[in-house]
Formats: sequence, C-alpha cells, structure tokens
Amino acid sequence: MKRITRFVLPLILVLGLLLSACGTAATPEAPAQPAAEQPAAEQPADACGVVELQYWNPFTGPDGPFMGEMVNAFNAEHPDIVVTMVSQGEYYTQLSTAAAADTLPDVAIVHADQVSTQAFRNVLRPIDDLVAEMGISGDDYPAGVWAAGEVAGHRYSIPLDIHPMTAFYNADLFAAAGFTDAPKTGEEFDAVAAAITSGDNKGFDITGGFPVQQIFQMMLQQFGGSEFNADGTEATWNSEAGVQALQWMKDVQSKYSEPNLEVDAELNAFKTGTVGMVWNGIWQTTNVTGDGVEFDGRATAVPQIGPKMAVWAGSHQFTMPAHKTVDPCKDQAAAIFIKYMIENSVTWAKAGQIPASISVRASSEFKAIEPQASIAPSVEFAFFPPSVPGITDAFGPLGEAVGAVMNGTTDDIKAALDDAATRANEILAQNKATYGDAPKAP
Amino acid sequence: MTIVSLRKRKIQITPYLFILPHLIFFVVFIGYPFFSGLYISFFQYDYLRPEATLFVGLQNYIDLFKTGSVKFIEFWNSIKVTLTFVIYSVPFLVIIPLGLAILLNTKIAGTKFFRAVYFAPWVLSCAVISLIWWWIFQSQGGLLNYYLKLIGFDTPRWLSTMPYAMITIVVATIWWTMGYNMVIFLAALQDIPNDLYEAAEIDGANSWQRFVNITIPMLQPVLIFIIIITIIASFNLLGQPLMMTRGAPAQPTGGGATEPVMLRIFNEGFVRPFQGSAAAMSVIVAIIMMVFSFTNFRIFRQRD
Repeated sequence: MKRITRFVLPLILVLGLLLSACGTAATPEAPAQPAAEQPAAEQPADACGVVELQYWNPFTGPDGPFMGEMVNAFNAEHPDIVVTMVSQGEYYTQLSTAAAADTLPDVAIVHADQVSTQAFRNVLRPIDDLVAEMGISGDDYPAGVWAAGEVAGHRYSIPLDIHPMTAFYNADLFAAAGFTDAPKTGEEFDAVAAAITSGDNKGFDITGGFPVQQIFQMMLQQFGGSEFNADGTEATWNSEAGVQALQWMKDVQSKYSEPNLEVDAELNAFKTGTVGMVWNGIWQTTNVTGDGVEFDGRATAVPQIGPKMAVWAGSHQFTMPAHKTVDPCKDQAAAIFIKYMIENSVTWAKAGQIPASISVRASSEFKAIEPQASIAPSVEFAFFPPSVPGITDAFGPLGEAVGAVMNGTTDDIKAALDDAATRANEILAQNKATYGDAPKAP
Repeated sequence: MTIVSLRKRKIQITPYLFILPHLIFFVVFIGYPFFSGLYISFFQYDYLRPEATLFVGLQNYIDLFKTGSVKFIEFWNSIKVTLTFVIYSVPFLVIIPLGLAILLNTKIAGTKFFRAVYFAPWVLSCAVISLIWWWIFQSQGGLLNYYLKLIGFDTPRWLSTMPYAMITIVVATIWWTMGYNMVIFLAALQDIPNDLYEAAEIDGANSWQRFVNITIPMLQPVLIFIIIITIIASFNLLGQPLMMTRGAPAQPTGGGATEPVMLRIFNEGFVRPFQGSAAAMSVIVAIIMMVFSFTNFRIFRQRD
C-alpha cells in the first residue's frame, strides 16, 4: 500500500496543478486605456460621468485581437466611456446563465441565426429607438442580413459583418493543370476539378461533416429552392432543387474528392498541397492561404453552379442584452460604441470578415484589403434563415441527412431529405408551441 | 458525548456531526438538483422564460416513448450509442487493468516505472487525450493511416465511418482511464496475504489455479466496485465523441452514430433549450444506470 501512495500522491498533485492551470486560464480582455485629453465627436451627457461598458463576444480565435484593437481605439477616442471586452467560448450557454443571474453585458455580439432565439429567451431587448438615434438604417445593408435582426416587428440587432462560404484554391495546382483563374461557373468548376484529379491529387475535397450542410443550403438556393417557407413554419429543402443540390454534391464527391472525409479533413488535405479546391468559411483564410501553406493558396468567391447566384453566410451582429433596470447613461454610451464599431469595421475586415455595412465596403480602405475585397461582392447574394426562434434546431435533421448522404450511410437522397423535413417540421411545430408568437413585452 | 433522549431511544449526535460537512455538500450539489430535476421533468420549462412555464404532467416522458417522433429517435439512438460504448469499453477496462496490475505486482526491475507509465494518461484532461487520438486517427496524414498505408493495409476513415468511429472512442478511452483501475487493482492485489499463495503452492496448485482460486475470489469486492464505477463512468461518456467525431457519422434516420446520451441531454437542455424534457431524459438515464448497478450487485453477490 505504502509504495502505491508514494507514486500516486505526486501524480495527484500534478493532476491538481493541471486542473488549476485550466481553471485560471484567462479570457482575453482588452485593457481599458483611458486616453488623455482628446476631444471626441460624441460624448454621453455630462451628468453620466465616466460610463463603464461590458462588451462580450465569441471571438476566442485569431480574430479576437483585431476586435481588441478596435475597442482600444474606441477607448482612446472616448475618455468618458470605458469599454471592457470579454471573449469567451460556449458563448450562448454563457449568455443564458448570465441572463438568469442578471449579469449580462451592456453590448454583446450575437450570430444572425441566434438573434430571434435569444430575443424570445429574454436575453436581448429591442433597440428600435436607439438604432433610430444612431442614424443607422437598413439602407446601408443587404436586405437579408438586416432582416435577420428584426424579430416580431422589432429591431434587436445591427449587423457587424457577413462571413460567407469561400472558395479556397491551390494556384500552383491550377497552374500545373493549365488554369489561371478560379472557376466562376459549374462548367469551369468541372473543367478545373477534372484536370487536377489524378493520382493522389484531388480536384475538390468535400467532407461528411461541417460545412456540408451549409454547402447544401447554398446549392439548394442556387438551384432555386429554399430551406424553409417564408414564415419559417415548414421545411422545404426536400424540393426538386434540394435533390438536385445534394445530387450535385454527391457527384462532385465521387468524381473529385476522397470519400467519407471527416470534419476538417478537407482543410488538412488542402494544406498538404494535394487538393485543388475546398469550400469553407471565410474565417479559414489565414489557415489555408498566404503563410499558412507552402504553396500559393488563394481565397475567392464561390462559383455559381446553379441557375441563381446564392452564397451561404453567417453574420455577427451587435445587440444590447436585457437588464432588470435600464440605465440611460449606459444605453447612450452603448449606442455611441456600436455606431463607432460599425463605422470603423474596416479594422474588423483585417480579421478575415466582410463588413456588413455597404458604405464601409465601398471605402477605399476596405478595397485595399485582399482577399476580403474580392470576396466582398458575393455577400450581396448571402441568404439568412427566417427570423424565428429555435430555427437552428430545425437545421439539425438537415445536417444529419446531408451528412448521412455524403458519408454514404444512405444512397436515397430524396428519402433522406423527406425524412429530415418531416422531423424538422415536428421541431418547428414544437418551437412554435413553446415560444409563441412574440417575445415577452420588454 | 452529547446524548439526546428521544422516545426512550438514545441517539448519538457525534457521528452525524462528523458527516455533516459532506452532507451539506451532498444536499446542495446532488440532493437538491436531483429532486429539482425530477420536479422540472413534469413541466414545459425554460429558466429564461418563467412566463412560459407550464405543467405538462407526464408529457415529457410520453414524448420520449412516442415511436417515430424526433425526440424518440434522437433519445433512444443516443441511449443505444452509450450502451454500445459501455458494452465495448467496460470488459476491456476491467480485464486490461487487471492484467497490467498482475504483471506489475511481480518483483521485477522497473515495475515502479511502468506503473507510472500506465497511470500517466489518467492525469490528462479529456480534451487533451481526445486531441492526441484525433491526430492519430484522422484521415489526412494521421499517424495510424500513414503507417497502415506504408505496410500496405487498408486505411479506413476512422472518425467518420462505422464501426471505426466507435472503435476509436473505445480505444482512446481505454488508454486514458485504464491506469486508474490498474492502481485500484494493484492496491487490492497487495492486500492479498502471501501465505495463501504459499499454501497453494505447497499443495501443488499451478499459477492459473492460484489465479482462479485465490486472486479472483480475494479481489471480488474490488472487482465489483471497479465494474460498477467503470459502467457509471462509461455511461457518462461525453468529451471523447464531442472532440473526436462530433457525433459523426450522421444517420439518415436521425441522430449521430457516436452521439452519446449525455450530449443529447445537454443539447436538449441548453441548446434547444427545453429543460423540462432534458430533465425527463436524465431521469430515464438515471433509472437505467440504477438498474445496471443493482443487477451487478445481485449477480456478484450470489457468489458469496
């Protein structure tokens, strides 16, 4: 016994150290830097004094420091407002537990497809008046991304960026196959993919996990279909267009891709330099282009395969979480902060995102940032799910159906999509029953 | 010490004072949540929408038994996944550590070193071991497929096809947790008096006979303990599939082929967010675990 204790104890100590190391892992915080006497354009009323704002976002990756830079710049220009940024993972769990404890921040980033759910769950509050005060209007945004921030007739969020599905390609493999430009149409796509696919080289890798569901949504839209009916009460992806879309994906997989790839395997394969093209979120740009790879990796807009151009995209949006008591000083400061962040979102573009604001995208500063600037036109074709609560739940069965078809668990495309639609409709009905028609009055 | 007379019976307070600190933690972190969960399971409940709380009686349970409904498919699929994992992992997690413990209980050079080596993975966090094994099993330049290809074997897609995805999770788990069971077995082995073996040897028993007739019976209480805690630990499977396969491969009928029930409950309660039906799922899982543990006790106690 004694001998055992002698070696178990040190190990337990080590374990304890490891655990405590994890426990204290710091969340990146942008230190407040109240600058010297510097006149700023807008300041909250003098009566408020120095207003402190908490700002939460899910930017725990390499994009976090860019956001921190923007927050520091804001703090430097606004001596009367001190914004503290906290980036954290498990983001929506954090938000909902904070909501239960009434410790929500003053400003928070929320994804476009989560705005409605969070609004119905009393995490967010409507900000119609503040948005009007800020002078921000939907005219400065593509219709889809702006509509995602409206829930039951009220505005809950302002789009910061749009992050579209992006085509990454290996220019060296392209050149070796006699191509210089990335494909823009289905024919061009087939031509280059077929030319590159030989031996160990693959023209286009596609997985059976993320983001195949998103690629399917994009193809579905391109072939003229849509995921849901307009009011989000019924799944409609089992249409003719849906079958065409999934059949196209299955075909390119069998022709140009390795079969049965797991999540991220297409990116890892691409990075080894043996894959001509992959499609993934724009946030992978630094990972698979430039210094991230040893070949000439490039990013560009996805091609138009179907008769209608459409691009899958997500969007980060500024929101103001709910509080038991509303502080007008903080509201005013938050409005100034959000407006500043939107207007200066060109810094955010450097993190690999496309600013949602049309005027920011039109600026010469943004146009100098590549490859973001050349991908930017595609966000005009971005589509977003209907703004109903729990809509992301209804995508669950779709992800399963697309994943199952791409992984070869089933061959019957129509049946898989039908089955998924039936299940999604059940989920939509359940959501409708539990959430009701509008969030609780603010 | 203090003796209180209550209906002529004498109750000692001192022992209760000793268990009080733990009792408080037990009540706060296990007792209260358990009954609170049981209570919530009869409601349509979301803690952020108190205005929508609705008593639904047994509806949350009925939904889980309604054949063909989404909840039925997803919940029972995940139960099946977890049970499959338990069936695959528990025998290995008992037999391999027992074998290791017996090997490392001999008086050869370097046993201490090997004990530390086999125990070492257990101190790693779930995320770390999952990442390590992900890198071994992944299809693009993963260690295993790289070597399999070198010697000319098939290179299956370990993380995205069945049954390989389940195998990867079982292998990773065995490597991770076998050290803990091994240490307990070692402690128990060292408690077996040596004279029993000596007596058996004098009577002419060979090593297998000694193992079957002395080691196994003497280890029985520890064996039951190990089996039960391993089953319970395996039932709590969550991190490995979350990090390694993310529930993949997806099944056309719904649910992931490696989506464990704990992940399903978490998603139902915190992603969906229907805490009422998530609580109902937890209650059913708790009942299944109790039945398992109880059956275990019965099976092994019959041998006494």
